[in-house]
Formats: sequence, C-alpha cells, structure tokens
Amino acid sequence: MKFENYHPGINFIFFLFSMIFIFYFNHPVYVVIAFLSYFAYSIKLNGKREIIFNIILVLFIVIYCLWYSYYNHFGITNIRKNFIGNNITVEALFYGLVRGMQAAAFIMNFACMLAVFSTDKVIYLAGRLFPKLSLFISIFLRSFSRIKERNADVNISRKGIGMGKGQSKVIGEIRNRLRILSIIITWTLEDYIESSLSMKCRGYTLKHRTSFSIYRFDNRDRSLVIMFFIGITLTFMAAALNQTNILYDPEIIMYRPKGWSYIFYVSYACFCLLPMGIEIVNSIKYKKRHGEEKAYGELL
Amino acid sequence: MALFEIKDLTFCYPVREREALTGINLTIEQGEYITICGKSGSGKTTLLRHLKPPVTPKGKKSGEVLFEETPVEDLDLRTQAASIGYVMQNPDNQVVTDKVWHELAFGLESLGYDTRTIRLKVAEMASYFGIQDWFYKNVNELSGGQKQLLNLASIMAMQPKVLICDEPTSQLDPIAASDFLQTIKKINLELGTTIIMTEHRLEEVFHASDRVVVMEKGKIVACGTPRLVGDMLKKENSDMAAALPAPMQIYYGVGSRLECPLTVREGRSWLERELKTEGKALKRDRLEEPDMPEESEKPAIKAKELWYRYSKEGADVLKGASISVPKGSFYAIVGGNGTGKSTFLKSICGILKPYNGKVIIDGKPLGKYKKGELFQGHLAMLPQDPQSLFVKKTVREELLEMVHGGVSENEVDAMAEKCLISHLLDKHPYDISGGEQQRTALAKVLLTKPSILLMDEPTKGMDNYFKQSLVSILRELEDLTILMVSHDIEFCARYADIVSMFFDGGVITTNTARRFFSGNSFYTTSANRMSRHIFANAVTEEDVITLCRENQ
Repeated sequence: MKFENYHPGINFIFFLFSMIFIFYFNHPVYVVIAFLSYFAYSIKLNGKREIIFNIILVLFIVIYCLWYSYYNHFGITNIRKNFIGNNITVEALFYGLVRGMQAAAFIMNFACMLAVFSTDKVIYLAGRLFPKLSLFISIFLRSFSRIKERNADVNISRKGIGMGKGQSKVIGEIRNRLRILSIIITWTLEDYIESSLSMKCRGYTLKHRTSFSIYRFDNRDRSLVIMFFIGITLTFMAAALNQTNILYDPEIIMYRPKGWSYIFYVSYACFCLLPMGIEIVNSIKYKKRHGEEKAYGELL
Repeated sequence: MALFEIKDLTFCYPVREREALTGINLTIEQGEYITICGKSGSGKTTLLRHLKPPVTPKGKKSGEVLFEETPVEDLDLRTQAASIGYVMQNPDNQVVTDKVWHELAFGLESLGYDTRTIRLKVAEMASYFGIQDWFYKNVNELSGGQKQLLNLASIMAMQPKVLICDEPTSQLDPIAASDFLQTIKKINLELGTTIIMTEHRLEEVFHASDRVVVMEKGKIVACGTPRLVGDMLKKENSDMAAALPAPMQIYYGVGSRLECPLTVREGRSWLERELKTEGKALKRDRLEEPDMPEESEKPAIKAKELWYRYSKEGADVLKGASISVPKGSFYAIVGGNGTGKSTFLKSICGILKPYNGKVIIDGKPLGKYKKGELFQGHLAMLPQDPQSLFVKKTVREELLEMVHGGVSENEVDAMAEKCLISHLLDKHPYDISGGEQQRTALAKVLLTKPSILLMDEPTKGMDNYFKQSLVSILRELEDLTILMVSHDIEFCARYADIVSMFFDGGVITTNTARRFFSGNSFYTTSANRMSRHIFANAVTEEDVITLCRENQ
C-alpha cells in the first residue's frame, strides 16, 4: 500500500501541513529533520534521477549560504572581513545555511507532491470546493486532447495532397498552416455542438446534479488521519511553546532542550517520515507474505 | 400500451422546400427491436431525432409523437433523460469527459444519485459491458469500438426503456461493429430494452430485428418482418434491394420458391435444397478465373521490405512489408485492425519514413523526388476521414483551393460533374452527407492529377448505393493505379483486381480477388461462405446466382 493510494484528502493534508512547517520553522533540529526526511522520501518516490537532483540542491545550499553571508552582515561574531571591508559573521553564515536547507526541503517536498498527486486527484480536490469546476476541467482536458488528435489527422490528410506542414516554400507554408488552423477552429465549434447535445441527452441540464468520485474513505484512511493529527497537534504545541524557532540576529539564541523537547522532535520526525514509513513497512510485509506463499507453493 | 406512437408526422427543415418527413405513422411496442433502413438522405436520422427532444431539429412540424401516451415535447426533463437513450453516429463527439469512469457516471450525476448508488451502478455497467479492464483509462487511449461501447454503457447506466441508435457502427471497423451490434442484441434479449436503430450494415441486423422499416424520400415505403420487407422491396424493384443481406439477394436473384434465408446458415441449407445436390453431380461448379498477372518490370509502386516503428523503444509496426502494384490496376490490401495497413500506406507516400527498406514510385526512388514534386501529378492519398481534408466554407472554394497547382477552373467544374457533386457546390462541406463528403474529397484529391491514388478505408460508413457510385467514378478514370486499404471484404471481392492480406506488419499472400477469397474460409465474403460447400469459387452474389441458374 502506497501513500499515493490513500484518499486524496489525506495526501492534501500531509502536503499542506508539511509545507507550512518547512516554511515557518527555523530551529536547526526541525530544519534538519525536514531536510533529511524529504531528501529520502523524494528519492524513494522518484528513483535514481532524484539523487542527482538532490545533490545539486545540496551544492545550491552551500552556494546560497556563502552568498548570503557575503552580503548580509548582522550578528556579533565576526569571522573575517571581505574585500570591501564588511564583516562576515557566524550568525549570517548560519542563517544562510538554514534558509538554504529550508528552500531545498521545500523543493524536495514539492517533488514528492508531484509524484503523489495525479491530475485526477487535483480535479477531485478542486471539485470538492467548486463542484462544477472539476467537470469543466475534465471536459477541457478531453477536448484538448481531441483537438490535438484532430490537428494531426488534418495535417496527415493534407500531406496526402501535398498541402500539409513542411511541404511547400515560405508563402505556401504559411498559407497551408493558416488554413489548417482556421479549419481546426471551425471543427472545434462544430464538435462542441455535438458534445453539448450528448450532454443534454444525458440530462446535464437537470437540477440537483451530484458529483461522483472514485475515491473512497476507508478505515485505513481514518487511522492515518488520526496519526497525522497527533503529529500535527504535537508540532503545533511545540510551536506554541516556542520550541520551533530561534533567534539569529544579533546573536544565535536557542532555548535549552528540556525533556519534552525531545518528544516534539520525535513527533515531528514521525510526521515527516510517516508516508515513507507506510511504504517501507508494507513492502516488508509484502515480501514476507510473498515468501510464505512461495514456501506453501513448494510444499504443495 | 405502445411505447412510441408516431401519428401523421410531417416535418420540413427551415429554408428547404422538400419535406424531410411526410405523413409518418408508426407504433412501437415495448421490447421490440426495430431497424430503420433507407438510402442516405431518406429521412431516417430526422425521424429518430423526433423521438428525443434535445436533438429534435427546428422546423415546420405537424402531427405528433407520443411516448407512453404523452407527447414527447411535454415530457419532463428527467423522464426524457432517463427513459430515452440516444446513441449518435460519431463515437468521439459523444464522450465529454476525459476518464472512462467519469463518463460512465455522467448521466447518473445528472439524475442526482449519491456517490454510493453511482458506485454500484457504474460497477454493474462496467461488468456487464466488460469495461472493467479499461475503467481507469483516459478516453483518448481507447479504440473507436471501445468508445462507442462506452457511450452505450453510459447511457444504459440510466436504465432507459428505449435505446435509439443512429448508425452507431458507421465509424467502426467490421469486427468492432459486429461486437457492438451483438451487444445491442444482448441488451434487447436479456433486459427487454426496446431498440430503434438505423443501420446500413443490414447483414448484421436484418435477422436480429423483429420489424424492419424502409424509408424513401421521407416516407415509410415498407414495414414488417424482415422476410416480408424483403419481398416488398423485391416486388417494387427498389434501390434498397441492393442493401439486403447476401443470402436474400441470392435468393431473389435465383427466383426460388422455398422460404427466404436470412443468415448464412439458412442460406447454406437453402442452397442445398434449391439445387437438390444430394447424390448428384453439378453441371458446373466453378467460374473461370483470370491468372495472376506476372510481376511487371516497371510497376507503379514498389515497396521493398519496409520496417517502421512509431517510437524508438516501441514495437515494430511494419516488419519487412513488400508490395508491387502493376500500373493501371485496382489493388486492395485487407487485414484486421492494428496490423499496420494504414501505416504501410502512409510509408508508401512518404508521410511516414521507414527506418529500413525502399519505396519506388513510377520507377524513381521516393527520396529522389523534390519537395512537393511527389504530390503534384504522381501520388495522392484519399484519407480515411474525408472531412479532415476540408478547410473552406463551400465545396466550390474547396475545389478551387487546388487551382494554384496549375488546374484551370474549367477542370474544376468538369471534376465536380464527374464526381456527381455539381449540385452541392455552394454548401458547406461539413453540412453534406458522409457519401457526398467522400465524393468531394475524392474530387479534391483527383484535382492534383495523380497517376497513383492511395485510399485509406474509402467505404467506411457508406451504404451500398454510395459504394457503387464511388466505383463508377473510379472506373471512368483510365490509367489510374489505385492502391486501397480496406476492411470491406465484400467491396474488395467485387471490384478489386488483386488482393493482398496484411498481417503482423507484412503482406502474407497476394492473389487475384477471386482466387484470394475462394481460398479463404473465414476471411471471405458471405456469398462465398454460403456457397463454398457446393461451388468451388463463387465469391460475389452474382457469381452464386449465375452458377445456380446454370445448375437448375
């Protein structure tokens, strides 16, 4: 069972809150947790190509933090002067590093989101807010692909009499392309008439239209929602107790971690890693079950 | 209580003088399977459209149409949407959403069912119609047959009392069409849904129908059981007799007194009884057949081992396909869907570029032709969908578009005359019927003065009458080499000189039409399937009739 197979609403909750957290928390522990979690999850979802991308992101963080400290001079702990004579400070360097990691975590989280969210899910979620919208997006996608197909058809047909794209010199070429464009517009309008008839035939104009979706909200979805909300609540408590942010200017001032600070760290890490955890646990279970089935198979 | 009652329906489109429907009276009972046939332009579609309010055309109308004793225009939206299902001709235009599951649910959403009910009904429909395997697919990944089946399922999900189908198979290949009609028959038999259908593939629907209605010029000229209608058409010597299933045509051609056969199975036993074949030899059981012409030195088209694939990683579509088309011949390539026939045709005219192999047109390799030279006077292709060739507002402008290629306006007029479209010159090319569009496209293609004409499924969606006129136009053009790709076995058997079978990316066999079809046992004409146990090589209806007469 993969995280993407859960109800789109849950996918949405996770990515919404994870982005808020990344955006607002600048406590180094929180930043590092988010960075590492999404680093791993994006690779788990998108495979090898993501590794290269993430390494580039790490380079970007280093460059950003150097650049940031070169131009920002707050803080009281000087390291040295740059060639204009401005101070490079530990605070600015450190803050640049944290900012860079936040940005990188955000991008990696976004990469995960793209992998989990199909267009279907986006349409569904939009439809929850504005029921007509999802239908219109669906109709739009359909007619878009129809127009693309039609364009290819017309071009091939016109090629068969030597009037397609890329078969004449400049002026003829422009003329041929314009003609194809104009007929595609005419055809599209004609097509809409037929399609709207087909919609009317199936009662589109009736009042009290409902909106069907293929997604179900099951018990497994419920249990995951509960887990997410425990994580989210604890993290918000941490934020309320000022555990998630620290001061960088003029001096790095961090609270001293107390006993429950560690609970907050762990709960945040659990929240970030939960989607990947589900996949890993399930694939282990699958392997075990598969192994058992195989063992039975050999017995028989 | 009758389901539909049509009383004295007369209808005239605005600005036209001729009535499209004249004094139609018809009663349709619950559970009937009714086929309406007639030439294109006879008013079949107009009649069907009067049964479903959203698609009823505007115009001058008198008489009335009652649905369960209520005039159709007074039906409330809900009853009308749920009880009367309407399947249109073009499978593509009717699908409005981008996902299969969404399309199935569309009508149910309109009726305002909740998600649980819709989930159940959609599941039922998907299982009944065998859609579950492509339930999550995007609609644009489906074949034409699958799309039409999807339309049918999404309408059936609303559980209509009557299903109205307007030439539902005209855009489908024969296998998909046959599947679709089987499904319709199944719905009629298993669910008791009333079926009202127009169809030109009478072979498939004639025996299945309870009643057949024949229309001509907006009137009903015959109505009754299939056998009765056959007799009436024969007596009146109607044009529609040419559209009857092969066994019936042969029966009338021979002039038998036994009971009329409707299917190939009935035809086979009828033929035995008619000729009293048991225990006696026939006087003559084969027709003369021309020999396969020797491969000429300079063929019009020669393709040598073409290999093609659509994407780098994809499978090969053409696998060493070769062909040699003699000058002046009518050459047909037949074969199933997805065997690469159309790809082959496009490769021959250079629209697609095979990665291996050679094409020689008129003795000159394809690559040696300059830009634009090939399609000026050498080669032209008539596309599968004639509409895709049109870019102008009238048929006249459409033809005049070709003038810049060195054609005079007189030639345009002459061509219009030859292709029987002179009377259509001022109409919009989208407004004329399918057969007329086909002829307009043909005229346009012929104006490039090709010596070789390639045709991709030229008979798709055409009735027999239009097929005959297409052939008579082509016959008048001497020295024209024609290479045609087609599913239409009957058409190829009747008119082609040489036939090749295409399978798995290559040509499997090639022979003269008669030898080719009499050698096959499945992939052959119904006249041949009906007579092959008695005659050796009768392929068309005329062949069977000739041999029968000689043996009587």
